Amino acid sequence: MPGLTVVGRRFAGRLTSVCLVAAILVLLPLFANSYQLSTLIVSMVFLLPALGLNLILGYTGMLSLAQMGFFGVGGYTSALLAMHFGTPFWLNFLAALVVPALVAIPLAIPALRLRHTSFVMCTIAFVFILDSASKNWVSLTRGDMGLSSVPRPRLGLWSGGYVVHTTAGYYYLGLFLCALAVAALIAIVRSPAGRYMVAIREDETLAASVGGRTWHYRLAAFVLSAAFAGAGGSYYVHYITVISPTVFDPSYTNTVLVVVLGGGVGTISGPILGGVVFVALSEALRVAPELRMVIYGLILTTSVFAFPKGLIGPLFALWRRMLPSRERGSHAG
Amino acid sequence: MLQNILTDGLVIGSVYALVSVGMTLILGVLGQINFAHGEYYMAGAFAAWWGIDRLGLSYIESIPLALLIVAAISLVIGYVVMQRLVDVSFDAGIIATLGISLLLQNTATLLFGGTYQTFDGGWLEPVRVLGEDIAQQRVLIFLITLVVFGGLEWLVRKSPLGRQMRAVSQNIECCHVLGVDVRRVVLITFVLGTTLAALSGVMTGPIVMNVYGGMGEAITLKSFAVIVMGGMGNISGTLLAGWVLGIMESLVAAYVGLQFRDAVAFALLVLVLMWRPAGFFSTKARY
Repeated sequence: MPGLTVVGRRFAGRLTSVCLVAAILVLLPLFANSYQLSTLIVSMVFLLPALGLNLILGYTGMLSLAQMGFFGVGGYTSALLAMHFGTPFWLNFLAALVVPALVAIPLAIPALRLRHTSFVMCTIAFVFILDSASKNWVSLTRGDMGLSSVPRPRLGLWSGGYVVHTTAGYYYLGLFLCALAVAALIAIVRSPAGRYMVAIREDETLAASVGGRTWHYRLAAFVLSAAFAGAGGSYYVHYITVISPTVFDPSYTNTVLVVVLGGGVGTISGPILGGVVFVALSEALRVAPELRMVIYGLILTTSVFAFPKGLIGPLFALWRRMLPSRERGSHAG
Repeated sequence: MLQNILTDGLVIGSVYALVSVGMTLILGVLGQINFAHGEYYMAGAFAAWWGIDRLGLSYIESIPLALLIVAAISLVIGYVVMQRLVDVSFDAGIIATLGISLLLQNTATLLFGGTYQTFDGGWLEPVRVLGEDIAQQRVLIFLITLVVFGGLEWLVRKSPLGRQMRAVSQNIECCHVLGVDVRRVVLITFVLGTTLAALSGVMTGPIVMNVYGGMGEAITLKSFAVIVMGGMGNISGTLLAGWVLGIMESLVAAYVGLQFRDAVAFALLVLVLMWRPAGFFSTKARY
C-alpha cells in the first residue's frame, strides 16, 4: 500500500497547488489595475496558439511555424461572422476553431510528407500564402486596410446577452478560454493518442512498427494545433477590434516560439509560465522604451544558458526537492 | 522581356545564395538554425550606408569597412554565444538566435532611427550584356557570387579548415577525440558565414536603395527556404537553389503580379519539395 499513499499524496499536493493558482487568477482583478490585467490578456492571446505549438512540437516533435497563420485565419473568420451576421461569441469562437482546422487539412497533405527542416520550410510557406490571400482577397478582407470596428464579444445564446466591454470582463473571458484549452491539451496528451504522439516524437519508425498509422496521428496533431491557434485569433480580434495582414508578421510567430520554448516545451505548465513571464517582461521593459527590445533580446539569449530546459526547469527541480526523498522520481509535468 | 526577367532573377538569386550559404555552413557545423542570419545582411548594408552617409567615404571604400564591422560584431557574438550552442538543444538554439536577431535589429533602429535610409552609392550605369542593358552593379553581384562560391567549394573540399568543418558536421564527439578544436571551427565558420551575408547586404544596398532595421527578417526566412532546397551543407546546391528562388520570384512578379510574389514562389518551392523532399540533390529522404 505505500505506493498508493505516494500517489495519493502527490495527487493531493498537485490538487492544492492547482486550486491555489486558480484562486489567485480568479481574484486577481480585485487587486490588479487595468494595465496589469491587459498585459495578462495579451499573455493569454499568445498562450492559445502556444498551446497548439506545444502539442505539435512538444508532444509530436514537429516544429510548425504556421501557428500565426492559423491564428490569422481564426481571427478573420470570427471577425467576419460577427460583422456580417452579428452572431454571438460562442458561434464565432467555434467557427474560429473549425475553419483553421479545415484549412489545415489540405495544407497537411504536402507538409506531412516532409520531415525536419523541410517540414519547417513548408509551414513558413503557408504563412506567406495566407498573408498573400489576406492582402489580395480585398472583397472579403479589405486587403492591407484590414477589418476595423469588429464587434465586442456578445455572450448570449442567440440574440441579446451580455457584451463584454470592461478589461476585467475580457480577463475572465480569456481565463475561461485558456482553462478550456489547457484542459483540452491535458486530455489530448494523456489519452492513448497523445501517448502515441510522444512515441512518434521519440522514434517515428519504431512507432510505425507497432502497427499505428503515424500519418493519422501527425495529421491530428497538425489540425488540432491549428484549432488552438484559431481560438487565440478569435479572442484576439474581439479584444483588439481590428485585424489586418500584419498578424502574419514573423515577429508574432517568434513570440509564440519564445513562449513555448522559453517556458518549457513538452510540459503543460511551461508555456503557461512562459506566456505570463515573457509578455510581462516585454511590457515591464517599457520603462526604457528605446532600449526595450534590445534588452529583451539580451535576456532571451541569456535565458537559454541559464535555463536550458525553459523557465519551468528550475521550478520542477524545486518541486522535486520539496517532496520527501523516497518520493523522488521522474516528473512529467 | 523574358531574358530580362531571367537575368533579374539570376541576380536576385545570387543575393539570396550569398546570404544563405553562410546559414547552411553554420547549420552544418553547429546543427543550429541561425534565426538571426538576415540581421547580418542588414548590418552589412547599414554599415556601408553609415560609411557613405556619415563618414563621407566612397562606395568602394565602404565595402571593406562594412565587412570589417560585421566581422567584428560576429566575432563577439560567435565568441560569447554561438560557440556555446554546440552543447545545447536545437530548441534552445532557436531562442538564443531569435534573441540575437531582436538585439541586432533594434540596435540598428536605435542607432539610425526607425525610418528608411537612402543608400547612395554603387555603380548603376547600364552595360550591354548579351544584347541586354543591365546595371553594372547587377553584373558585379553575379560575378562576385561566382567567385565566392568557387572559393568556398575549394575551401570546403581541399583546405585543412574545410576538412575540419566537414569533420565537425559529421561527428562532433569524434572530433573531440581526435583533437579537432570544435569551438574554433565553429567560430571561424560563423564569422565567415555572417561576413558573406554582410557582403550580400553591401552589394544589394545600391539596388534596393533603402536600408532599415527590419530588412533582414524576410531574408532569414528566404535563406531558410534556399538551404532546404539546396540540401544541408551543400554549397553548389545552395547556389542553384538561390537562383531557382530568384528566377521563380521574377517570373511570378512579371506574369502574375508583384503582390503574389512571395506566396507563389513559396508554393512552388513546396511543390519542388514534394518531388525532392530533402533538396535538389538528395534522394535519401523518408516520405
